[in-house]
Amino acid sequence: MKRLLSSNGLWIGIALLALLIFPLIQRSQYYQHVMVMTMMAAVLASSWNILGGYAGYTSLGHAAFFGLGGYLVALAHNYFGWHPFVSTWFLGFVVLGVALVLGWISLRTHGSAFVVVTIAMVFIFRLVALNLSNITNGARGLTQPRPGWGGVPWSPEFIKVPFHYIMLILLCITIFASWRIRQSKFGLGLIAIREDEGKAEAVGINTMLYKVLAFGFSAYFMGVAGGIYSYFFTYIDPQFIFDVFTGVTMVLIAILGGRGTLWGPVLGAFIMEPLGNWVIGTFGGTQIHLTIFGGVLLVVMLFMPQGILPTLSDAIRQRKKAGMVKAPSP
Amino acid sequence: MLEVNQISKAFGGIKAVSGCSMSVERGSITGLIGPNGSGKTTLFNMITGFYPPDSGSILLNNQPIQNLLPSQICHRGIGRTFQITRLFWKMTVLENMIVPVRHTGWRTLFSQGVKKHEEERAMGLLDLVGLTQYSDEEALKLSFGQQKLVEFAAILMSDPDLILLDEPAGGVNPVMIEKIMGLVEDLNQQGKTFLVVEHNMRLVMELCQHIIVLDHGQKIAEGKPAAIQNNPIVLEAYLGSTNHAGA
Repeated sequence: MKRLLSSNGLWIGIALLALLIFPLIQRSQYYQHVMVMTMMAAVLASSWNILGGYAGYTSLGHAAFFGLGGYLVALAHNYFGWHPFVSTWFLGFVVLGVALVLGWISLRTHGSAFVVVTIAMVFIFRLVALNLSNITNGARGLTQPRPGWGGVPWSPEFIKVPFHYIMLILLCITIFASWRIRQSKFGLGLIAIREDEGKAEAVGINTMLYKVLAFGFSAYFMGVAGGIYSYFFTYIDPQFIFDVFTGVTMVLIAILGGRGTLWGPVLGAFIMEPLGNWVIGTFGGTQIHLTIFGGVLLVVMLFMPQGILPTLSDAIRQRKKAGMVKAPSP
Repeated sequence: MLEVNQISKAFGGIKAVSGCSMSVERGSITGLIGPNGSGKTTLFNMITGFYPPDSGSILLNNQPIQNLLPSQICHRGIGRTFQITRLFWKMTVLENMIVPVRHTGWRTLFSQGVKKHEEERAMGLLDLVGLTQYSDEEALKLSFGQQKLVEFAAILMSDPDLILLDEPAGGVNPVMIEKIMGLVEDLNQQGKTFLVVEHNMRLVMELCQHIIVLDHGQKIAEGKPAAIQNNPIVLEAYLGSTNHAGA
């Protein structure tokens, strides 16, 4: 923790403070909503990054775990009355367990085969949710009671605020976990797997174990976010929550910001999510935001193939180096 | 220490190794030679767990290892280099050294990735191969020979008893070859056992105490370097049969 703060402490402090006071100074429901969605996008991209960025396994199917978390939390709320803000943290572990099993199966494939298997995962989950209609209510979806606490619903002016703070907590935990993993032996092993899996195995890394664990961890935060999301909207249906586009978006956000870096996915989310909302707000609910998303990604890939953050930090390092070389000369 | 019994491996219809038996004595430097395609690398890959053999057994210190994962075999004390050097290219040289450090238990898995004492040990080994000044460079920025040395030094981090070198001198300049040979001899003095695949005959003859010759996936000869050099079967495998040679 100390080391995380010592290197970037000032910036983290400013960002955290801004996010803490955001709902107090920004009273607009719309902007509060966008901020919740932005932080959620950052959570999704960061947790995807644990597997896709560090270990280099591109999953386009992590929406499956997002949706599973959403369904588990909604069902637990409706059947047992468990409050989503509490239950989502525990039900996330169920998602993790499911992910360990699915990871153990799917991680036998590599490269594009793995991508296809993960996409299939989303469709399988959607089919199950559609057809287990006596539990999941099928295509009609699940509705939860209006958000509140202790039987008292929150007022419309206040309703986004609790979601803002719980999403902020989740974002902090996700970033901390991602940082902790990156610093550990485990993280070093994941990077080694990304670089050369066979070599990693040859020098004594149990690559299957590492990959499956990374798969599970990344699914946990997905599941928790899905749980909060289902309560935020109070309604979910299989089409809506098991959406391949959700899985693709988090990947594009991570790539945009800088895949495999700690802060890249967060940066990508804080650029793309507000931009997307602004475009929808300005041009209406056409699919133009997808076009613009694609355009931005194209430009970034052309000029910063590693993503925004690695390119910027490289440039800064180069300048520092140049400065250091110049300094001794008379 | 290592015993290979009657192992075979076929890829489709091609028998890469068929019914090959050999053994490596503890404390020796054993050479494994043979023409291209004679099955040397396939044998290496079977010993290190990359290919499961179709039949036969491999014993390390009398324990069967033929069904273990490469990572498990590495933990049993076999380290290897690759014919074409393999490093974690975008990781620093130091990180390349740290990844092979052996660790067990969940707590260690999530502990600090690069520990002070590991770093010191890595720097010591880098010093041995004369590359300390590159410790923070990405591995892909090094020259070909330097990369070979890093791969070699990184293997030592997991402290293997038996080291398999796949063409340590391939594409390396003569000065570097001398350096690698010196290292192997020094480490052998300290008790490490080596199995070396190499095409550079001068290196093999000078370095190895015992030589095994493969051809068409089978062992055709073994013995001391001097005996191998004059063995007609070996000459035939390398140069073709005498009638052809005469033509």
